Amino acid sequence: MSVNRRRATNTIEVNLLARCMVVVCLIGLAALFFVYLKNQQQAVGNKARLVEAALREEEARNEALKAKITAMTSRGALQHRLDEGYITLQAIRDTAIARVTPPAPAEVDGVLRTASRDPESRFGPGVPQRSVNR
Amino acid sequence: MKGIGERIGVVCALLVLVFTGFAWRLIHLQVLQHDYFSEIAAEKHSIRLTIPARRGRILDRNGEELAVNIPVRTVTADGTHIHDPAALARVAAPFLDMPVDELTEKLSSKRPYMVIRKEVSEEKAQDMMRAIDKANLHGLYLEESALRSYPNGEMLCHVLGFIDHSGHGIDGVEKMFDAELAGHDGFRMIEHDRKGREIVVYRGQEQLPENGTDIRLTIDMALQAIVEHEVDEAYRLNHPAGASAILADPTTGEILAMACRPNYDPNHFNDAKPDQLRNRAITDMYEPGSTFKIVVADAALNEGIVDANTRIYCENGHFAYGGKILKDHHGYGDLTLKEILMKSSNIGSAKMALRMQDNKYYDYVRKFGFGEKTGIPLHGEISGLVNPPHRWDALTKTRMAMGQSVAVTPMQMVMAMSAVANGGKLMKPQLVLSKGEGSAVNPPEVVREVVKPETAKFVATALQGVVSNEGTAPQAKIDGYSVAGKTGTAQKISNHGGYLEGRYIVSFAGFFPAANPKLMGLVIVDDAKLSSEANFGGLVAAPVFSKIGGKAARYLDLPPDNQPSVVEGDHPKTASMGTR
Repeated sequence: MSVNRRRATNTIEVNLLARCMVVVCLIGLAALFFVYLKNQQQAVGNKARLVEAALREEEARNEALKAKITAMTSRGALQHRLDEGYITLQAIRDTAIARVTPPAPAEVDGVLRTASRDPESRFGPGVPQRSVNR
Repeated sequence: MKGIGERIGVVCALLVLVFTGFAWRLIHLQVLQHDYFSEIAAEKHSIRLTIPARRGRILDRNGEELAVNIPVRTVTADGTHIHDPAALARVAAPFLDMPVDELTEKLSSKRPYMVIRKEVSEEKAQDMMRAIDKANLHGLYLEESALRSYPNGEMLCHVLGFIDHSGHGIDGVEKMFDAELAGHDGFRMIEHDRKGREIVVYRGQEQLPENGTDIRLTIDMALQAIVEHEVDEAYRLNHPAGASAILADPTTGEILAMACRPNYDPNHFNDAKPDQLRNRAITDMYEPGSTFKIVVADAALNEGIVDANTRIYCENGHFAYGGKILKDHHGYGDLTLKEILMKSSNIGSAKMALRMQDNKYYDYVRKFGFGEKTGIPLHGEISGLVNPPHRWDALTKTRMAMGQSVAVTPMQMVMAMSAVANGGKLMKPQLVLSKGEGSAVNPPEVVREVVKPETAKFVATALQGVVSNEGTAPQAKIDGYSVAGKTGTAQKISNHGGYLEGRYIVSFAGFFPAANPKLMGLVIVDDAKLSSEANFGGLVAAPVFSKIGGKAARYLDLPPDNQPSVVEGDHPKTASMGTR
């Protein structure tokens, strides 16, 4: 009888059990690490989304302000302000002009010219011209 | 026992068959139809987010902004994300300038995509989203959009045009260069969480937008402002049905300024009447009157039919031809070509035309660009009207010589007169200097050589006489500069045939400095509310040209060529039937 009872008892294979537990733990840890990484990825993604939104908002605000500045400084707006008397045009005295070309005497028409846009009169005849923007 | 074994075998075989079926179905779904189901899943969860391209700006030749974009937002709603429409409406309504009840009703719908309001300013939209977040509500979203703005309002409206609410160009440069200005929208495939926020880690395919190209025009806004101001003054003083002015560089064909009245504000184009939307410089044709005499003068001289010394008898002001009497306002005897232009003699011009063969004369009219589009890149340009010789009657040739029986657009007249100023070369009008940053500048384009350079030079010199005290337009003089030009005074055509008594389209086309032309200008005043005695091209249009030219010369700092100043009180003295 005692022989039979001993045969019916299963032995615990500690080594195998330990190995399995280690493998399970490792898999569990890997899974947790994977979840952690996924959460981090999600958090970074959210941050990126918020930064992108903030950047877009600032860009849009900048564009809106630039458009406002353009509208306020446009010829139409300035002319309107001039007509209203909000701003005035002041003649520049000849002594207050820094010349980039030698001063030219007034012509017979009495108009004193400030600076010539004619490349020849600026650089002399025969001098290669840069692109003239007019 | 054997029977039981067999039965177990059969059951097992059936089970194997069933599970084999399941396995096959699994493979069918997961492997064979993978793409199909992936697509359905993606459609269900992925959203194609459009990244709008920025529309290109329109700039003047010096980089001044003429059309810009103001970023705005379109507020949309996803009904499936809204749990308390009333609360959401209470928070959002003040920012959207909408009644709470109306917004509540809209938000109560369960539709997944609803446009709640367009063109909400960036500031308001962001403030609204912060308020919604603070109240822990969701269901409203913002989409990027832009509003087209024209900072100069009415100035240059007919050239710039405008865009409609979907962002497509409807008129002007906005229409003609819509493809370049619009660019191409980009996209990004995204997925949302249940609150409608993007899940960044699931971002899919992405394509960045290609922003529109900036268009740089040949227009100089400083010159445009001068032209607009003077045209406004003429419009205010003379109360005409319309007025146009064009300033161009005759050597390159570049259009430097272009203004028409009546005009409109492209920022509020919905308020404009059809009459205001018309760019009269290219869509309207008119009988040019005496300005057209440059054609017959050039043609006769170029063909050697007349020369500088040829004298043509002008019948003392009454010339019977084709059963009608052709008149000059003053009776003249023998006149040279120069004097015919200076005195604007209808009889002299008609007799020059009569010396030419019909086909030859017609060829010159066409070579000057009349009867065909100039090719300016603006919408709605017309060809004008020039009848071929087989449709002429006995009087057509003599009438064409003085600018009747022919209809031209202001732009055609500018280019024709520019050909005289430019040594006989007809240029194609240029409106676009360059497209895009750093791109090459469009080169001038010669259409054809209409007359020999010496012919053009002689006529240009003769046209200086028009602006002398003996000519028809001393008021076109510009202090310090020699001006060459021609007046035109044509009776308006009645819709019922014939001419309208006492109603004229008056014009002046000229260029300066005459020897080395830098600027070409045309001023047209249509049906000024003036008496017939005061309604002449030399009295109405020429002074406007003079003011524009004087200011433009000072702005461009053109070296003067020292012509004597205008004598106060000079007035033109010529007139004739129909054209003066």
